[in-house]
Amino acid sequence: MSHSPAGNTGFTSLEPRSTARMTRGSTMDSARQWYYQRGKLGTFALAFAVISGVVTHSYHLFDYPLYETDEGIYLERAWAIIREGRLSPQTYVYDHAPAGWMFIAAWVFLLPGHFEAFGNPVNSARVLMVILHAGSTFFLFEIARKFSRGGLLAPTIACFFFNFSWLAVYYQRMALLDNVMVFWVLLSIYLLLREEVRLFTGLWSGLAFGISVITKENAIFFGPAIFYLLSRRAKNDSGDSSRDFTLFFWLFAASSPVFAYCLYATLNGELFPPDMSFNLTHTHISLLYEMWYQLHRNQATLFNRHSSTPFLYTAWLPKDPFLLAAGTVAMVICILAGWRQRKVDPALLVAGLLAFGIAFYLARGSVILDFYVIPLIPTYALCIGLVADRAFKSLPDTTSRFLAPVVCGVVAAFLLLPPGGYLIKHGSSGQLQAADPYHVPLTFMQNEQIAWIRQHVPPNSRIISDDDIWVALHDVKPVFPYDESHWNAATDPQVRKIFGGGQWQDIDYIVLSNQMKAAMQLNNTGGQEQWMLNALDYHSTPVWSITRGSVSLAIYKVQNLSG
Amino acid sequence: MKDVLYAGILLVSFIVSAQSVWTLYMTLYAWDRPPSEGNAPDHFREPRLSFTALLPARHEEDVIRGTIRRLARVNYPPDMVQVLVVCSADDHGTIAEAEAEIESLRQQGRENFETVIFSDGPVNKPHGLNAALARATNDVVVIFDAEDDMHPDIFDVVNTVMEEEQVKVVQAGVQLMNFESTWYSALNVLEYFFWFRSRMHYYAKVGAIPLGGNTIFFDRALIARIGGWDEKILTEDAEIGLRLSAEGERIRVVYDHRYVTKEEVPPTLKQFVKQRTRWNQGFIQVLHKGTWRKLKTAKQRRLAFMTLIFPQGQAVLGVYFAFSLFTMFDLKTPVLVAELSYIPVLIVLANFLTTAIGLYDFTRAHGLKATPSAVAGLAIAWFPYQLVLAYASLRAVRRQWGGRLDWEKTAHVGAHRDSAADGALGLDEVRENVA
Repeated sequence: MSHSPAGNTGFTSLEPRSTARMTRGSTMDSARQWYYQRGKLGTFALAFAVISGVVTHSYHLFDYPLYETDEGIYLERAWAIIREGRLSPQTYVYDHAPAGWMFIAAWVFLLPGHFEAFGNPVNSARVLMVILHAGSTFFLFEIARKFSRGGLLAPTIACFFFNFSWLAVYYQRMALLDNVMVFWVLLSIYLLLREEVRLFTGLWSGLAFGISVITKENAIFFGPAIFYLLSRRAKNDSGDSSRDFTLFFWLFAASSPVFAYCLYATLNGELFPPDMSFNLTHTHISLLYEMWYQLHRNQATLFNRHSSTPFLYTAWLPKDPFLLAAGTVAMVICILAGWRQRKVDPALLVAGLLAFGIAFYLARGSVILDFYVIPLIPTYALCIGLVADRAFKSLPDTTSRFLAPVVCGVVAAFLLLPPGGYLIKHGSSGQLQAADPYHVPLTFMQNEQIAWIRQHVPPNSRIISDDDIWVALHDVKPVFPYDESHWNAATDPQVRKIFGGGQWQDIDYIVLSNQMKAAMQLNNTGGQEQWMLNALDYHSTPVWSITRGSVSLAIYKVQNLSG
Repeated sequence: MKDVLYAGILLVSFIVSAQSVWTLYMTLYAWDRPPSEGNAPDHFREPRLSFTALLPARHEEDVIRGTIRRLARVNYPPDMVQVLVVCSADDHGTIAEAEAEIESLRQQGRENFETVIFSDGPVNKPHGLNAALARATNDVVVIFDAEDDMHPDIFDVVNTVMEEEQVKVVQAGVQLMNFESTWYSALNVLEYFFWFRSRMHYYAKVGAIPLGGNTIFFDRALIARIGGWDEKILTEDAEIGLRLSAEGERIRVVYDHRYVTKEEVPPTLKQFVKQRTRWNQGFIQVLHKGTWRKLKTAKQRRLAFMTLIFPQGQAVLGVYFAFSLFTMFDLKTPVLVAELSYIPVLIVLANFLTTAIGLYDFTRAHGLKATPSAVAGLAIAWFPYQLVLAYASLRAVRRQWGGRLDWEKTAHVGAHRDSAADGALGLDEVRENVA
């Protein structure tokens, strides 16, 4: 026997146990919608995805691609943290927030042998990228699986592109902040898709997102989609107030790392520029000035073939037109279909918004570099996987069961074999060979360049070089303390002092690649690199060079008085 | 020397941060749990347990009649409820008011109300409770304070919980209501809100719980077996909670907005400081008594210790505050040290924002309305309130060291009540009385 109290308006506590479990935390949109057992097949598919990602990204890792300038920059900043206890060996100008290279520094610090654990210092960070890629693959698989209601087709397709696309393998191997950022972003989303979004889960998710922002600022473009997902997951259908706290803690945790970064600038007296001057014709060391400067940097749109950096046509489409085309179409479908279904299933809309956020960032016409495409890869892969999943699910079960593996198998074979060229392609004489990432050695040239310097150049020489060899020349004895990159020699007055304040006569050697020379010319709009170009073009002779395909490296001895 | 100073700053920052994070975790613990965990049942069992309500009162002329009337209106069979109004013999005013109300009830045929007058010492709440316990006859003993507005269904709630879950101790929710009365009342209200809504659940889960002072239900045989309340302790409720925890007794916490016992914020700052001083001093006494050492697990002992030491920590922080002002304006530290020393500020900010959200949650739950100006008021009052708490902690330490162990009573005015209905005086009127 029982009797009911007056005003029975609260929550039920006598619900069936299974239901109680599913509504745990009270912050679920609909827990059942997001919770699916992975099962043995799912675990196998997940293991395959992670292992294949590790294999494609680690095989030939130290040989291809060429060590990029930006890899070198982040390595030298990680070096500065470990060896000098500061954020950069040169003047830190707030061009990027430091969490990414702090993370690399922490990793390198743990390695026996530190920067030399795997030979060239950049290799140490590339190993970290592979580890992060394994983590990112796991997160992407789980995100796609939960977005497709436990299905395995979407995660398998998404991870296929994430792991095998040449575009992905090429850039994701590099020690770049974007790869670290993608890891944190995917972790943030993954945490929101756990069975139970409890209050402190929101906190961890927010913290991961905040770290992603201070790893690479363009992570902010993922913010709206992730927050929308959070607000849906924290939907308050049981009437209590957990939703408010969950949203607040996400926001708080996400903004805390950003606050810490701003605080760092404030404590250094570098939050605002001197005299509050935001005049873009003068450079200042200031966080807000740098943000202002970056916001006002413009170049021709991504779709302009004649811009100075037509990466869409020169770097991205040649590597993987299929991912870019299919991803764009899938993104549009996700947004349109997702908008219609958002009330019952926000997954498509979230995936579409994630991709759109970063696509908008790339397409809006600001200054971009070729590797800025990195965050687009997992989001496009996710959209493709989800659209394929929904398409097959719209078919009758029997048709879908037969058609899905056949179509996916054919497309995968097409992409892996010469037509797609993900794994195998035709060589210059028509023979079958492994795709470039697994076949072409490039970094040996940079290692030979370093070896030549060590053998022939006095350590006290004043060297203009590129950042990719900076740590190799500064961390291994004998060190070359007067080696600096052309970029820093052009922009940092402290560095320029090494070279007589910017006199070609005070340069002893110039160590470069053909890419570096192009970058010097591109960066010379204000004439700041001219004294180095003068030294190179009029006062130096090549003493070493090597060429492979379109890549040329060289060392020039400058004919100055000391020479 | 500077390095030592920097290390000290970092150490304090770390300790304060850790303590603040832990506090924040407990503050929000319940929101991270299934909502049904702390709720009251929706369906009540038939009454089986009988209750003896102890109503200790001292100088409560203003509110005691209203409280007795409320107890007379509970939705439980009168023959299963015994109400004992407990007064010391020198409190003629309260005795007169209580007996007048009891007489009035007798004339209506209600014979289950009586007074318990004690003339021996000490004159304090635990002694009164022990005196009344000897006269209690029913299965379950419950304590209400003289100004409490208990929910009419509270006995049904506890009867059901005790029967269904076979627990012998139930702490039900207590909630201050008048969040707009004074500059500090919203913060005080929210302290209660988070304490009973969340922290109590954490204490109960760990199994080391300093119980609240009212709306606490004990199996009478159990309370008699452990010897009743400790009359030398100013926070006898916390002490008995830890004693029961040390015995391994499972304690159920029920917090459901619908069934909370409503109370009021102390009407003046002086009263508030006195009340807080008493609590803090009581915690210090419980700490020194060492009941917490008898808890079974290290986690329980750690939790109890951290809770009981908190007033002294707060006193130290009050002193540290002056030093931190000096460091903010007069000490140049390396950027990393300065950056790390800001972590507690960030966590304090999280605590404040949590409180602001809690204000909306509290008002929503009780059909009240929080406005942006109320949140602005919280922000303005936040820091002074912390200083008042630190002052009360320092005062408690000073009193304890000085051997001042007397009970500083908190005045009650019934500000949480509809005065016309309950016969309470108006807030201003009673403020004048207690000033």
